[in-house]
Amino acid sequence: MTSEEIKDLILEIIEDIDDEADFDNLDPDQPLRDQLDLDSMDFLDIVMELRKRHKLQIPEDDYHHLASLNSCVTYLEPLLKNA
Amino acid sequence: MKVPLLVIGGGLSGLAAAIRAARFTADVLLIEKHSRIGGLNSYFYRNKTLYETGLHAITNYAEPGTKSAPLNRLLRQLKLKRRDISFCQQLQSEIVFQNRQTLKFSNDFTLFESEIAEKFPNSLDTFYQLLGFLKEFDPFQPGPFRSTKTFLLERIQDPLLVDMLLCPLMYYGSSVENDMDLNQFAIMFQAIFLEGMFRPEGSMKDFLDLLLAHYKKLGGSLRTGCGVKTILQKGKDIAGVELDSGEIIECDHILSTIGHQETLELLSESQQPLPVSQPRMGFIETMYSLENSKQTQLPTDKTIIFFNTSDTFSYKVPTDFVEFSSGVICFPGNFQNLQTDKYTEVRATHLANYDKWKSLSYDKESYAAQKRAMSENTIATLENLIGSFRSNIVYQDTFTPVTIERYTSKIGGAIYGSPVKIKDGDLGFNNLFLAGTDQGFLGIVGSMLSGVSIVNQHILPKL
Repeated sequence: MTSEEIKDLILEIIEDIDDEADFDNLDPDQPLRDQLDLDSMDFLDIVMELRKRHKLQIPEDDYHHLASLNSCVTYLEPLLKNA
Repeated sequence: MKVPLLVIGGGLSGLAAAIRAARFTADVLLIEKHSRIGGLNSYFYRNKTLYETGLHAITNYAEPGTKSAPLNRLLRQLKLKRRDISFCQQLQSEIVFQNRQTLKFSNDFTLFESEIAEKFPNSLDTFYQLLGFLKEFDPFQPGPFRSTKTFLLERIQDPLLVDMLLCPLMYYGSSVENDMDLNQFAIMFQAIFLEGMFRPEGSMKDFLDLLLAHYKKLGGSLRTGCGVKTILQKGKDIAGVELDSGEIIECDHILSTIGHQETLELLSESQQPLPVSQPRMGFIETMYSLENSKQTQLPTDKTIIFFNTSDTFSYKVPTDFVEFSSGVICFPGNFQNLQTDKYTEVRATHLANYDKWKSLSYDKESYAAQKRAMSENTIATLENLIGSFRSNIVYQDTFTPVTIERYTSKIGGAIYGSPVKIKDGDLGFNNLFLAGTDQGFLGIVGSMLSGVSIVNQHILPKL
């Protein structure tokens, strides 16, 4: 997956969690949770969807790598390079 | 057979837990001892008419846009679309301390504020301080039991206002006599006063059917009439269960929603029973189906009335069969946008003594006679508060703590379960966890969030 595809994947997952999510002014370097008003329960859905869709096991200690859109790309790119 | 997750108990916490897990893993199995799901909030048929059990109103009303509201969080977690369920808000409810004071409230909190301002002007400042405290307070931080009664009496000097604030919150969710945990108070205050009450437009059956269809679409399975004989245990590990039928079901994880002590009693290695330090709260409810065509003076603008007719308000196990001096009256037809029917209902709830009802229940005739006598007292109590309706009654049914025990298998028929809660759902086993009533989130939204949060915390990370 390219970095753009990874961004799309994350946004698609979030849209699936919350169909009212507004991505228009999303800053890719700022935390997703604050900008999209997601709580820790929603956040777990991102982790679980990545596992379901791409068989990725993300340990709890690594959850913070998924904080912003750009940090998601940095963390997921090597894991999804063959996806 | 072997499943990754077995959920015991098809009440609302079990259903929510099973749906949550089924979103991410195949072959979740939910088992329910009784022939029908719903647990405390279910339904039955008499004379081809569907009657609901349990449900008065659902607390935690929230508008669709408020993302952090428990109701909307719950729907997101279960992937249920808000637009697939039609919600009807309460009209208005009231706390009535007869001959003393009344307080109206609705889903618009400003009504409650103005009532306090008008009727308790000297306590208004302290009431606002309480609101300020609750805004900052995190009720989900684990901690030891903290007495709400002491907390409130130290801050709000008027004991009448303290009792009037506590009455609805206790009746809708305290498992403790004459008090409640401060965390529970904060949760219930938000659920009832700040957010408010509603019900689904259809029946409880429609709501349960919708949850079940959603669960099955996600690939989950349900077995009803499926009781557990033994939870097969090796020390801290659970291998599965043996059903009443003798069938063995192996599983990687078990989530039990049937109660703490109730779960321990199923374990194959004998357990020390939990110490009993406080009694469980028992309730009696009578529902009256009334003919609409005949004239009554019953309120058409009130959804729930929480009442107390005594000089002091006490919430404790009565020494007699039933304590009539306080209780809850529900008008299930008085919600916004509900179609009026040929029949309307009134439901009344009082505190009851399980032991007295249990010992009488072995003598069927005396038990039935006592139920009729208690219903007569309830009618007299209600007519004194809301006007006469006796001549309109076409059908009535009384549920004692023994009835509730029979249909829900809750010890003592105690709808709010054990006074001691296991807030993290951890029972000290590697793969057996607790959700539902004895985890501590109460009410329909609360119990469903209990199922969801215990799955999130203990099951999903390990599946």
